[in-house]
Amino acid sequence: MYELFFKSFRQKVPLSAEEETQLKRYLTPKKLRKKQYLLQEGDVCKAIAFIEKGALKAYSVDEKGNEHIIQFGLEGWIISDLYSFLTGESATYNIDAIEDSEVLLISKSAHEELLLEMPAYQTFTRLNITGAYLAMQKRLTSIISTPLKEQYTDFIALYPDIVQRVPQHMIASYLGLKPETLSRVRQKIAQK
Amino acid sequence: MKQTIAIIGASGNMGSAIAKSISKGNYRLLLKGNNQASLDALIDEIKANDNTADAEAMACSTEACWEADIIILAVPFEAEKEIASKIKEVANQKIVISIANPLNKTYDGLVTAANTSAAEELQKLLPNSKVIKAFNTTFAADFSTPVIDGKQADAFIAGNDEEALETVSEIVSTAGFNPIVAGDLSVSRTLENMQLLLIQLGIKYNYNWLAGWKILHH
Repeated sequence: MYELFFKSFRQKVPLSAEEETQLKRYLTPKKLRKKQYLLQEGDVCKAIAFIEKGALKAYSVDEKGNEHIIQFGLEGWIISDLYSFLTGESATYNIDAIEDSEVLLISKSAHEELLLEMPAYQTFTRLNITGAYLAMQKRLTSIISTPLKEQYTDFIALYPDIVQRVPQHMIASYLGLKPETLSRVRQKIAQK
Repeated sequence: MKQTIAIIGASGNMGSAIAKSISKGNYRLLLKGNNQASLDALIDEIKANDNTADAEAMACSTEACWEADIIILAVPFEAEKEIASKIKEVANQKIVISIANPLNKTYDGLVTAANTSAAEELQKLLPNSKVIKAFNTTFAADFSTPVIDGKQADAFIAGNDEEALETVSEIVSTAGFNPIVAGDLSVSRTLENMQLLLIQLGIKYNYNWLAGWKILHH
């Protein structure tokens, strides 16, 4: 239930057994079924979620009802609407489960107490947010300045697990493409 | 967003009364009970009243509480220890509602010492959960008749976490009662004794298990 969280934590920051016990007290284990929401647009994002098992997606929905996927999350990743979580304003994203999933939630109050109490958690948070910022920058650069085909091959190279587990139409949505466009891109790559 | 509530002991009198009354709210209910036939009948009844109601039977307490945001333990005081050991880990940081009154077998006293309560004992068993006392001063029959003799029954709530008290107040309102936050968790001692008194008076004056508390004030 907590295994991957602490493993991933320790890959970033050393943690004593005592700190592990202390940290565990703040985590909320939650199981989600496929298609179940973790967060809905308009609500406040009250927790960040570490994914122990399964896959989730964060997305916005446009006026026509189309989903635009902002982020995928697999085992070991953290997913949230960070803007809403940090500001307390309404979330602009929905987050739901692509597969049956298990997450560990860190609520806003738990997050704030941990930041005050535990330097290791501070470091963990800093590294996560820096990592998320870098990933976003990369994604932004890719969207505005990389040819489609390359965007897709980069995506496959970077996230081979997602390609295996997530339906193509979701990957198209993530890349900002229509599913037909993505399948044309994939055909071209296959022909080579 | 729809919150998921696990009711453990949902096939009992109190559990099924709570399930029925809050199924009209925006909740997803996961119901665990020992009696499968009554559980199935309960779900049929909930869906017959409102086919959009979101309620389903669960086979395992741990699984139900793992999926839940809020847990209602609608089990007798004696059963809390065993259930707490099963759900301790998955109930971490979650609201756990204690409805139990720790009555003795002859209904004329409590089995808990004067310096504690069923709710506080549960909090000791689930140290990282937000235990809230609620629904202990309302009889099962009150849920279908929360307005008695023209007055809406009060339902008292006690606990140590402000946000959790608010969430539980909403659930109590959904059930049709007037929620009153009485104080921190130690106030449960008074609330459990209030129900002991109501039970004794009910037996003495034959209230027929349909009775409740109402504070009169200006």
